[in-house]
Amino acid sequence: MDVPGRSHWLWLDYLPCWVMIGSAVALWVGGQGFLISLVLAGGGVWAMLSVRRLQDEIRRAAEQHCFLDQQLIQSQKLASIGELSSGIAHEINNPLAIMGQEVEWIRHLLGEAEGGLGPSEGELKDSLQEIGRQVERCREITHKLLDFARKKEPLIQSVDINRLVEDMARLVEREASLNNIRLERHYSDGLPPVYTDAPLVRQVVLNILNNATHAIQKDGTVAILTLAEGDGGVGIQVSDTGCGIPKEYRDKVFDPFFTTKPPGKGTGLGLSICHGIMDRLGGRISLESEEGRGTTFTVHLPPANQRESHDHGG
Amino acid sequence: MAAKPKVLVVDDEERFRVTLGKLLGARGLEVRTVGSGREALQELDSDGYDVILLDVKMPEMSGVEALAAIKKTHPNLEVIILTGHASVDVAVDIMRLGGYEYLLKPCPLEELLDKIETAYERKVAREARARGVAQPPEGPS
Repeated sequence: MDVPGRSHWLWLDYLPCWVMIGSAVALWVGGQGFLISLVLAGGGVWAMLSVRRLQDEIRRAAEQHCFLDQQLIQSQKLASIGELSSGIAHEINNPLAIMGQEVEWIRHLLGEAEGGLGPSEGELKDSLQEIGRQVERCREITHKLLDFARKKEPLIQSVDINRLVEDMARLVEREASLNNIRLERHYSDGLPPVYTDAPLVRQVVLNILNNATHAIQKDGTVAILTLAEGDGGVGIQVSDTGCGIPKEYRDKVFDPFFTTKPPGKGTGLGLSICHGIMDRLGGRISLESEEGRGTTFTVHLPPANQRESHDHGG
Repeated sequence: MAAKPKVLVVDDEERFRVTLGKLLGARGLEVRTVGSGREALQELDSDGYDVILLDVKMPEMSGVEALAAIKKTHPNLEVIILTGHASVDVAVDIMRLGGYEYLLKPCPLEELLDKIETAYERKVAREARARGVAQPPEGPS
């Protein structure tokens, strides 16, 4: 990655050379030159180390800046897509309601006809059932979209993260074991206190656990890890031994409607909802993936004091 | 449900209200339908209803305005909001104004029938309680 501002400091990289040349000249001049050269050389080494440190600081700041920029762009993108799609969802709900009712009414009429429609009646009923099923599918999508866009105020309270994660692990474990998927737990003791909205975090954890088991499909391991993070926050990691996410998809997995599942199997809203939730809780969600080896999702919950300032900041 | 409630469907979408009226009618409910909040207020003046199914987004008079007006003149009526436009603010307004339930379209028919039944039972129980306080010796109706 290019580090802005680095070119301005390039001349300083050559400072020791200048110092050495200066020392050599001083030595050649003689007299007190040797002493002067020692002082200059010491100063040169000190200056070189300082410049290196400064460069590292600038690089780190630039990387952090770039990361925050990406986070901001992603959040703004999700917010605008959320707004747009909830508007569409509202408009679609009314025609969907009419379609659903017409299906119910035809069912009622067919019930009254009692076989009077001849041999095609079975096919007609089957067709009608399919329309009803597809209306229900659309309904699920529009209602999920509205949930996604709805801004509920989080209810912040002290949460035992290990227990919360374990509750969700148990929920998915039964179905996972049917597909020979093992859940490994690595819960850290003595995690820092976490103040957050438990139902929202549960939703996120359940979502990434489900994604992990779906990625494996059959025979594999999901490793769950909780850990104290450097900033005083808490991390929840879920790693799977699934197929991994291809490089070209990694930037899109948090976008609404992005899914690699077959049609009808996923709405592509789960991870965008998780991203939105973590945003609201002042945390974040990130992923690392290697194609063919698996994926790790990490949920970062902010430290208690940061959570407080996030709330006050609106 | 022994006695069937009398229901008024208020929705500006004609096809929606007509088919819903037919569906509820086929389940034995007495149903009438109107296309606006104003028509609903006129209809309520002329006949005794138990439950109202009210849309929110309607021209002239919104469902929230209609609810406020209905509750002023008919405080005992149970109002169920049935809308395609979910909004926390509107839901809060509706509950504050005394709306009984807030349902998002499309709502499965069985779920809607359940809500109507519960709303009706609530209305009957409240009326019985009010009568009991006013005229204790008369017993149940």
